[in-house]
Amino acid sequence: MPEQYLEANQSRVGPPNPYELKLAGALSEIFASGSHELPAIISGLNNLGLNAPDGHPWDETRFRSEMRRLGE
Amino acid sequence: MTTATASAPAGAGVRAGRAKTKTVVGTRRQLDASELAATGLRDRWYPIYPSRFVGPGDMVKVRRLGVDWLLFRDARGQIRMLEDRCPHRSAPLSVGQHLGDRVACKYHGVQVNGDGTVVSVPGMPGCALEGKTVTASLAVEEGADMIFAFMPLTEDSEVTEFKLPDRLDNPEVSWFSNYAEWNSPWRFYMDNVLDPMHGAFLHRDSHSMFGGDTSARFRIRETDRGFFFEKTDQRGKNFDWVEYCRESMDYVDLEIPYADSAGPGGSFGIVGMSTPIDAHTSAVFHWRTRTVSDWERDVWRFMYKTTLEEKHWVVLEQDRELLEALAADADKDEHLYQHDLGVARIRRVHDADAQKQAAILSEGIA
Ligand code: FES
Ligand SMILES: [Fe+2]
Repeated sequence: MPEQYLEANQSRVGPPNPYELKLAGALSEIFASGSHELPAIISGLNNLGLNAPDGHPWDETRFRSEMRRLGE
Repeated sequence: MTTATASAPAGAGVRAGRAKTKTVVGTRRQLDASELAATGLRDRWYPIYPSRFVGPGDMVKVRRLGVDWLLFRDARGQIRMLEDRCPHRSAPLSVGQHLGDRVACKYHGVQVNGDGTVVSVPGMPGCALEGKTVTASLAVEEGADMIFAFMPLTEDSEVTEFKLPDRLDNPEVSWFSNYAEWNSPWRFYMDNVLDPMHGAFLHRDSHSMFGGDTSARFRIRETDRGFFFEKTDQRGKNFDWVEYCRESMDYVDLEIPYADSAGPGGSFGIVGMSTPIDAHTSAVFHWRTRTVSDWERDVWRFMYKTTLEEKHWVVLEQDRELLEALAADADKDEHLYQHDLGVARIRRVHDADAQKQAAILSEGIA
């Protein structure tokens, strides 16, 4: 085989940006604490001091639409 | 989830009325059982290559089951797979030119269409080669991000119906595909996935396979599509079971628990397949799946892209590095124990198939 294809990231085109990494990290932390329900996740993000992309605290509508966009 | 089908004859070059030896499509020779087992059993569907690697106008050469093939899309975007060998003097078609619904060989310009039929011999118009279907072309399908092909044993082989694994054809299940090339024989991949016990050792240091006991008892349980090889005393803690499925293609189906940090949705599933490149290297296909919907689906997909995919990759690399380190004859003179019942079983299945296919070939002299 001339060149072995071994590519770790196949689900996205470029690396995640700092905002995405921070959000993913915060979510992992919240999930790891055992919170898997929507209200707990949202208050978890707000407690960590993260804001939604529009600068406001997260709420259900903001969280759903941002995840829709990022998870496509 | 499946797109259009190109129905093509399994083989090519039918010369009626002449007794002839049955050769394996793409090889021009008979193969014995051990060669078949080494380069891949025929008469089944195999994943070939990610769809995204073959764009419009591309001419892509891939080696599969020890044979060189050309992949290209015709003018309608339909994927085509021809043996990479010109019917004239065997130059690789892949170095030729893409002409929409056909390809032109670089050596003397002979044009072959997606069915393997010679449509033009520019250097000698009216040549008897025109209109002849002499290049092997395969039946191909696309689904779950991949190109699949039916690999016929002989030109008389009947193409079986293409069916994606259930998990990949279920709207409730969200998945991501992964493709890799391993310098390790195809059969070692199968042995490895039919051996769930390696999870607790080889992958102990991983994001998903640290849990559960390091000793276990196993049993085989038959299903209508294959068999389960599973721990009798533990489920839902580590790599505790695998189902080997024999449908239009061979694949494994299994589930592994996620740690809490992976978010809502529980275990993730794996559909795994391996296609021999040749006797020593394999194309390895995995789909990581999760049964999630609504915002949980979006969250999973976001987490997969940002963090989980890399963690899955680390686990897969642990498998690759181990399998690539095995001696070429690692499966001779082993000392198997109870955990290896799944390995022994899969080898018997494949061995029986190889014997059967070798017999079909040697009966072929009419
Ligand atoms: S070898 Fe292809 S045209 Fe002659
Ligand atoms: Fe493994």
